[in-house]
Amino acid sequence: MAFYAVYILEAHPSDVWQMESNINDKVVFASPKDFDERSMVAGACVRKLGIKFPALVDGFENSTEKAYTGWPDRIYLIDTKGRVAYKSKPGPFGFKPQELRSALEHLPETKSQLMRRGSLALPDKTQSAR
Amino acid sequence: MKKFLVPSLIVLLVVYALCTAFIWRTMRRPPEEFARVMAKIPGPVAFLLFPFETLWTRARAGTLQAGDPAPDFSLMKLDKSESIQLSSLTARQPVVLVFGSYT
Repeated sequence: MAFYAVYILEAHPSDVWQMESNINDKVVFASPKDFDERSMVAGACVRKLGIKFPALVDGFENSTEKAYTGWPDRIYLIDTKGRVAYKSKPGPFGFKPQELRSALEHLPETKSQLMRRGSLALPDKTQSAR
Repeated sequence: MKKFLVPSLIVLLVVYALCTAFIWRTMRRPPEEFARVMAKIPGPVAFLLFPFETLWTRARAGTLQAGDPAPDFSLMKLDKSESIQLSSLTARQPVVLVFGSYT
């Protein structure tokens, strides 16, 4: 499956709602004025946090954030029929990677993979044991 | 003193209900407006005195439900290499979308 970050409008821009913790972590940014500025902050985010999966940047009119009520953060799983398979509760409280893990394990696509392999755990070791 | 107790409690309850209604209404506003209002309220007040998480979870529930078609979109990759269409991705494999920002 594919992971994508959808980079949206800032949660705590310095000119609107500055957080002490962000000052301590040196994550201080004013609200980006346009798409290019948002991309710059997104770039800093991905680099500093070491995010390995690709990021998409929401357009400045925030249409994707609005459609998904993604602010300030949220997790979605979309299945191969293009339907919402899992939608987290709104972040920050609802941002729970362990729920995503559970949702992934329950996807029919994942289940059929499990059936084909026999188990998710250590297929190599079971071969060598025989 | 005693005769002021009940009216005072009623006033407090009404004030509390009005504040809760105000917080709820603000949570339903666009994020930028919500953030501007929250910045003016001293941090602990909103979180400690009111059922903030419950209100937030409901206010920001959104219209999408599990089983609904995911709204399609086409967004530019951060590295500007290409534009990605959600429906093209999901045609091949399940997709996890992680919404967020740096701050």
